[in-house]
Amino acid sequence: MQARDNFNITHSLFLLLGGVALLFIFAPLAGMFISVNAPHLFEAATDKVVGNSILRTLLISAAATIVSALFAIPLAYILARKKFPFKGVVEAVVDLPIVIPHSAAGIAILGLISRDSALGAAASAVGLNLVGSPFAIGLAMSFVSIPFLINSARDGFAAVPVRLEQAAETLGASRFQTFTKISLPLAGRSVVSGLLLMFARGMSEFGAIVIVAYHPMTTPVLIFDRFNSFGLAYARPVAVIFVAVTLILFIGLRIYQKRKW
Amino acid sequence: MVRLNNILYKADEFTLGPVSLELEKGGYFAIFGPSGSGKSMLLELIAGLRTPAGGDIIIDNRDFTFVPARKRPVGMLFQDYALFPNMSVFENIAFPLRISGENEEDIKREVGVLSEQFYIQSLLKREIAGLSGGEKQRVALARALAHQPSVLLLDEPLSALDEELRDDAVKTLGILKKDGQTVIHVTHNRNEVSDLATRCFRMSAGKLTPID
Repeated sequence: MQARDNFNITHSLFLLLGGVALLFIFAPLAGMFISVNAPHLFEAATDKVVGNSILRTLLISAAATIVSALFAIPLAYILARKKFPFKGVVEAVVDLPIVIPHSAAGIAILGLISRDSALGAAASAVGLNLVGSPFAIGLAMSFVSIPFLINSARDGFAAVPVRLEQAAETLGASRFQTFTKISLPLAGRSVVSGLLLMFARGMSEFGAIVIVAYHPMTTPVLIFDRFNSFGLAYARPVAVIFVAVTLILFIGLRIYQKRKW
Repeated sequence: MVRLNNILYKADEFTLGPVSLELEKGGYFAIFGPSGSGKSMLLELIAGLRTPAGGDIIIDNRDFTFVPARKRPVGMLFQDYALFPNMSVFENIAFPLRISGENEEDIKREVGVLSEQFYIQSLLKREIAGLSGGEKQRVALARALAHQPSVLLLDEPLSALDEELRDDAVKTLGILKKDGQTVIHVTHNRNEVSDLATRCFRMSAGKLTPID
């Protein structure tokens, strides 16, 4: 009976179809790793430009995630708990960065920080040029990745029973204490998942960043630059190193997340 | 002492009240009624989880009608106990004490006293997920009493328990009566508190009537 359950036709078909999906993700990446030229890989691994771009990408994406979280988590909580007019419109706005082309997102952000804008003019007045700065990269990363944090955290808060928050209030907790001691810890797994997704999505961004800041180069821009200037043989080692670093980082973070939550 | 003067509450098409009630200190009051009659709603109004459309809620001669839940001298035992799954038994009971800023020594002492009173000393380090229904009820009672409320509200406290655990749970509620704690106990089952209640009321379609 057990064997019949394990090997029924539907599940076997699903396994086959799912295997194709898995192969679709795995094969190009595996092919990239296999076909990389060893001397070129060594050269890229010892290239300071590559190392600096990876460090820059990780640091800016982490900073963008942390700063965005200060705004995204409260919004996620409100969306999970409150009913208000045009809530559907607000939720659609949150999802906008996922559905619009990222080059268009880059153009929108460029409009926000160029010298013609209020923000750009204010920065210019104190001697700062926002276009082509780490700030611009962070903005582009935040813009395209913030929906992942908001949506994940919102689902997490929505899954926390309202009763627990009410119980905390009858025990003397303020709304803020209830949030920090009950809602946030109980939604922690989803919030952390959202943070990781946002961080990952931010550092892999290319389309919006290449418009607001070609320099200083993040790794996705550097891969594009190497491909454009020198061809596949020189772009591939950089891509391999970046994918390997992100893979190790995310496996580590996921293991930590599973242990803690 | 709890006094409700013409409490009125409207939710969609349901109207509760006007309810007037005067409950003396130290009594054990039972409110019976079918599901959807407004019993739990009345408790939530007293606890401050809902705001009445009219009337006054007086506790110990002070008007609490528009005072937020966290500032009311009220403890509440929820039907599903609403224990915090991210905290141990000890931390659940200590929660209101930590919130009120008590020091660690006092918290340990007070949790110790409550755990002795409800026979849960051996559970203090346990996680909530591993507790039985009866254990959860006792932990929730200890937590609800930790900040020494003037009145304790019990929302169907026995409904989540298996038949064989109910006798023990009723005995646990008897501890409250013996200690002179003012209790309002709502239930759909009149028999479960027949030995405990000093006064009984019936709730039907949002109206409250005393039972002699």
